Amino acid sequence: MAEPSRITVPATLESLGRLRAFAREAAECAGVDARRAYGLQLALDEIATNVVSYGYRPSRTDAVLGLRAEVSGGSLVVTLEDWGQPFDPRTRKLPGEEELSRPLEEREPGGLGILLAIQGVDRFDYRRVGDRNETVFEVRIGEGR
Amino acid sequence: MAFEAALETVGDEARITLRGELDASSAPQFKELVEKAATGGPQRLVLFVKELGFMASAGLRVLIFARQKMGSGVVIYVVGAQGPVRSTLEMSGFHRSVVLQDEYTPT
Repeated sequence: MAEPSRITVPATLESLGRLRAFAREAAECAGVDARRAYGLQLALDEIATNVVSYGYRPSRTDAVLGLRAEVSGGSLVVTLEDWGQPFDPRTRKLPGEEELSRPLEEREPGGLGILLAIQGVDRFDYRRVGDRNETVFEVRIGEGR
Repeated sequence: MAFEAALETVGDEARITLRGELDASSAPQFKELVEKAATGGPQRLVLFVKELGFMASAGLRVLIFARQKMGSGVVIYVVGAQGPVRSTLEMSGFHRSVVLQDEYTPT
């Protein structure tokens, strides 16, 4: 994968499967181990779900998500692009150990997705570029568990 | 892989089998079955997930919903969770509130 490859999909929940398939194939091509490949798909799925659910105004019918993958150094770098409201997932308050220890009947469901996203990859980054959000997921290549 | 969910009631047990990929687009299907299962007032909710290859937090939210809908007296079993799905349950602390089993054994 010398050239970065990319896809653009409608910003709908029905696109999640295609995004995961793209990440899975990129991970396979790059030689990422199975555990990291799964973590990458999970991280991407969680953030894309957030963008689709909250990032775009419901009135927009032209909303899309872009996804690109490239190998850089010893890592696979997958970047999710959207043109919705600025949102840096790293600023979201995440459930701490105390919240995670609570029984389910007392759980607040918020924040779990972003926690799984950040923990799913070796490096998680975000930047605002003009009118675009870029969420970056990086996993190392060729390392075992 | 497409998502499939099926509900079966056996005595006072509601059994739901989940297959494929459980994400935010498929979670409503699972939630609907949990709601349906809850109306029968089961003592146990048993989720067979051996063939569930992917689970996002949307799936975890349905488990929270199940617990809140059915009450703390209903035991929730998650049976046959494969590596990554199991890790997600553990990382989220859900293994403390549901019974994780490789093969279904009512306790």
